[in-house]
Amino acid sequence: MTDPYLPAWSEPFVGDRRDALDRAVPFVGRDRAAALGGTDATGVTVAIIDSGVERDHPAVGGKLVASVRVELGDDDEPVVLDDPDGRDVVGHGTACAGIIHGLAAGAELISIRVLGPDNRGKGVVFAAGLEWAIAHGASVVNLSLSSRSEALFATFHELADQAYFANVLLVSAANNAPGASYPSLFASVVSVAAHDVADAWTWYYNPRPPVEFGAYGVDVEVAWRDGGRIVATGNSFAAPHIAGIAALIRAKHPTASPFEVKAILAATANTASPSR
Amino acid sequence: MSSSDPDSGSSRLSLEAVALLQAIALRAEAARRIEGEGARAVLRSIVEATVALFEAEAASIALYDPASDRLVFEVAAGEQGQGVIGVAIATDQGIAGYVYTTGQALALSDVERDPRFGRAVAERTAYLPRSIVAVPLIDEQGTIGVLEVLDKRSQAAFSLRDIELAGVFARQAAVAIRTSRVDRDVAALLRVTLVELTRGADSAPTRAIDELVAAATAEFGRDDQSRLWALVEQVARIRRADPDALELVTDLLAALARQTERDTRTRRRGRGSRVP
Repeated sequence: MTDPYLPAWSEPFVGDRRDALDRAVPFVGRDRAAALGGTDATGVTVAIIDSGVERDHPAVGGKLVASVRVELGDDDEPVVLDDPDGRDVVGHGTACAGIIHGLAAGAELISIRVLGPDNRGKGVVFAAGLEWAIAHGASVVNLSLSSRSEALFATFHELADQAYFANVLLVSAANNAPGASYPSLFASVVSVAAHDVADAWTWYYNPRPPVEFGAYGVDVEVAWRDGGRIVATGNSFAAPHIAGIAALIRAKHPTASPFEVKAILAATANTASPSR
Repeated sequence: MSSSDPDSGSSRLSLEAVALLQAIALRAEAARRIEGEGARAVLRSIVEATVALFEAEAASIALYDPASDRLVFEVAAGEQGQGVIGVAIATDQGIAGYVYTTGQALALSDVERDPRFGRAVAERTAYLPRSIVAVPLIDEQGTIGVLEVLDKRSQAAFSLRDIELAGVFARQAAVAIRTSRVDRDVAALLRVTLVELTRGADSAPTRAIDELVAAATAEFGRDDQSRLWALVEQVARIRRADPDALELVTDLLAALARQTERDTRTRRRGRGSRVP
């Protein structure tokens, strides 16, 4: 029974309502099998906000279930349009999709193209793409880009919070250059930089933010546009590795919240010494 | 012309102010020419140092040109670099476009595996690289351009450390560009000041200002010993010293104008009293 005099935000903790809190928090220790074993991320949707994803690229495995593009309308307001052709204007989004599919073969992929001839990677377009991803069922969002617009600080901060409260995990490539970059610097976001161990299943946790995770991102053979492949290096290719692993964790532990997924990622990370 | 006639007095003041502003415009143009070339020389030396340090085939810097909405390759070094100078590409085109729009550094190798990549630029420069590293040039306003390094002779690919190193050169370049942009900002400021000062003068502001600046710069190099040069020099020094001092420059220009106005009035009064 809820005490009408208690503020609304205390409700989950009072009286009979407490029963709903009776849930096992998925603290899996350092056991990767317990964290993500036996799943291919079926049932999880990963959104890729980038240059588009080539629908027919073999590396994507036919898992692209939706494809949209964000453009600036006549009034300079961003609009989200269906983009069924699944075009990738650079190759980069397809590279990210291929990495995620390689780790989480069952995950469904959504492409949100925010780069293209009509919007020149504008921050507002990126923000609109992120908002769309949060509202359209993605439970992991891969962001291999960020905005430096101080004017959009509040917008991205709000979107990062919106994602967190909507149970959506944002995985963002860290910037190489110093200075502000949103939303990769926000605390709720999983920020990723590249390491040079040639193994997709090796990831590191750094307890000193803002860049908390290191994943494979040096000389990675990735899918590229027009059905091609290329060898690439950059934090952009590290982020989708963590996005793919996070998709597996979300499939294995559907009730885990974004911060719990982050904790599991940290707990199951490799240590510098190979003994573990 | 009689000094007791207020209309002709105002006209004289305007002529003197115009003469002063002509002098400022002349000197600003001189500074712009000298320092503009200076910034380019710094950029050129940065790409030369990049080529030498990386033992690369080429290095180049492309800057965003707002007028054409394109990335324009401004300087290049290395045996294979020269062809790219002056090439303009769309901001979503190729690796430079991707790095510009996302602000994410990127290295690619085995580029020849997919000859479609970079085709647009490669066709114009008749050089198709095997490997490439591209890092954003970033200032406090955001990404302003891209530094690219092509084909390290000693290795088939660029490492993480190479990306970081390229980032160091990119930061130097961004500082050089910021300095030259301060010059441009001062030129814009001067223009605004001119418009403000000549508001209410007998000539139509905008066209008059254009003509004024054109006239001033046409006489570039003419020996002029005005005592106001000292003040103008001071303004120029402050501008070089610290871009944040733009407000101070505004104030100085305003004070300069007020001072001239006072001087002119004083001289006119003085002349009037001597004439019986």
